[in-house]
Amino acid sequence: MMAARIDNGTPLERAAPAETIIDVKGLGKTFTLDSGPVIALESVDLTIRKGEFISFVGPSGCGKSTLLNMVAGLLPATEGAATLNGRAINEPSRQVGFMFQTAVLLPWRTVEENVLMPAEVFGTKSEATRQKARTVLEAVGLRDFMNAYPRQLSGGMQQRVSLARTLTYEPDVLLMDEPFGALDEFTREAMNLELMRITQAAGITVLFVTHNITEAVFMADRVVVMTPRPGKVSGVIDVELPRPRTIDQMQSQTFTDLIFKVRGILGHGQDSHA
Amino acid sequence: MAKTVTLDAEPVKAASPYKNANQELRYKLYTLAIIVVILAAWELAPRMGLVSPIILPSFSAVVGALISLMQQDFFLRHFSVTLTEILIGFVLGTSIGLALGIALAVWPTAKRIAYPFVVGFQAIPKIVFAPLFIAWFGFGMSSKVVMAVVISFFPVLINTLVGLESVPEDARKLMRSIKATPLQTFRKVSLPHALPVIFAGVKAALTFAVIGAIVGEFVGASEGLGYLVELYKNQLRIDRVFAVIVILAAIGAGGYFLLEWLDRKLIFWRTDAQGK
Repeated sequence: MMAARIDNGTPLERAAPAETIIDVKGLGKTFTLDSGPVIALESVDLTIRKGEFISFVGPSGCGKSTLLNMVAGLLPATEGAATLNGRAINEPSRQVGFMFQTAVLLPWRTVEENVLMPAEVFGTKSEATRQKARTVLEAVGLRDFMNAYPRQLSGGMQQRVSLARTLTYEPDVLLMDEPFGALDEFTREAMNLELMRITQAAGITVLFVTHNITEAVFMADRVVVMTPRPGKVSGVIDVELPRPRTIDQMQSQTFTDLIFKVRGILGHGQDSHA
Repeated sequence: MAKTVTLDAEPVKAASPYKNANQELRYKLYTLAIIVVILAAWELAPRMGLVSPIILPSFSAVVGALISLMQQDFFLRHFSVTLTEILIGFVLGTSIGLALGIALAVWPTAKRIAYPFVVGFQAIPKIVFAPLFIAWFGFGMSSKVVMAVVISFFPVLINTLVGLESVPEDARKLMRSIKATPLQTFRKVSLPHALPVIFAGVKAALTFAVIGAIVGEFVGASEGLGYLVELYKNQLRIDRVFAVIVILAAIGAGGYFLLEWLDRKLIFWRTDAQGK
C-alpha cells in the first residue's frame, strides 16, 4: 500500500525514538471568578515526541481546550510550565498552527488569499509562498477552488481551506480544537484520513482535541484521557495500531479493546456525554 | 495508488432571495400599483373638492410648480447652498463618527470613560440645538453644517463601535496565534468585518445630514431649500412647498441609492442572512 504524499515528504517511519518537541510539566490553570477560584486544569505532565499524533478526549469541562490554549501560548498557565523545542512557551509561536471548530475564513478573501493571509502577517508573501499555497491546496483537493470565496464552499471544504492556511506556513506542531466537530459523520471521517495522511507525510506533530472516543483512538499514537471537576489527565493510552490507519482497523479486537479502555477511565459515574 | 477522497465536489450556491423571477416581477407590479393609486388619489382629491387646493394642491399642480420653480434664476443658488450644507455635514459627521467609533473600540479605557457621555448625548433630541447654533455660528451655512454634523455622526459612531466589537472571538484568536500586530488584526480582520455594519450607519447619517441642514434653515436662514419651504408656506404657495419637498426627497433618495450601490460594490461578500 502506498501512502499519498505531500511535497516530497516520506511517510514517517516510527522506528527510532524521536526527540521531544513539547514538554509539559505540572501545568495547571485556575480561573478566578467572582464566586471564587475554579480549577480548570490540574497539574498535567506530558512529554510529546516529534511527529507524534496525540488525541485529547473527555467530556466538556475536562480542561482539554484549556490545555491546548496554554500549549498554543494563547493562555498563560497559573502553575507549572510547558516548553516547545526546549524553549518556554509564554507567547504564540509561528512554529505552531492552531485550528478551530469553525474554519474562521475571511469572507472577503478568496481561498488563495485566505491561505496566504499568515504569510502577509509574517511579511513573507512571495512567489515561493504562492507556490507553496498552490501545492498545499492541491494536497487538500482544492486546487480548482483557489479563486472561490468561502461562502461558495461547503463546511468540509472550508475546513480544508483552514487546514491549508495552517500547513502553508509549515508549522512543526498543529493544535486542533475539535476541528471537524461541526461536520457531518462522512465528511469528518474523510477529513480525519486526509489529516493523518498529510501530517504523517510532513512529519507534523498533532495535538487533537475531541469528545469523540472512536475518533480519538483511530487517529492517535497516544490518547490522553481527561476528566472534569477539576479538569485533569486521568490516563494516557498507547495506540499500537499500524499506520497508515484504515477504516477496517476499527473492526479489529485491538481497536474495540482500546475503546473500552478509554471508556473505563472516563466512566466511574462521570457523565461522559461523549 | 494515492487515494483521493473527493467529497463536497459541488460548491454550495447562495439561495435566491426570491422563489423565482416570476414572483419578483409580481412584487414589483404591486409596488407600481400602489404608487399609481396614491398619485391618482392625490390628483383627484383636490379636483373633486374633497380637500382645498390651498391645503393639498393636486399632483399635476405640484409637477407644474416644480417645473416653474426649477426655471427660476434663484433656484440654483438655494439648491446648491442646501446641497453643500448636506454634503459637508455628511462627510464631516461620518468622519467624526468613524474616528470616534474606532477610538472607543480599540481603546477600552476611552470607551469606559466616554460611553456615559455618548449615551447621554444620544438621549438629547439634538434638534433643540438648532437655535443655539444659529446664535453661535450665524445665519450662514456654517450653523447648518454644524447641525448636520451633530445629528449625523452618531449612527456612524455607534455602528462602528458595534461592528468592531462583533469580531468573532476565534478570528481574534487566529490572529493572535500567528502573532499578528494589533494594526494587522485591525486592517485585515476587524475593519472589513465591521464594514457592513458601519455602512448601515453611514446610510443613516446621510438621511440625518439632510434633516440637520433643513432644520437649521427652518430656524434661521436667508437661503437654501429649507428657507424656501418657510417662505412659500408664509406666502401660502403650497404647490411650491410640495415642489421643494420633492427636490429634497430626490436629494435624499439619490444619495441613498448612490451609497447603496457603493455598499454592494464594496461589501461584495455580504450574504442574504446578514441583511441590508
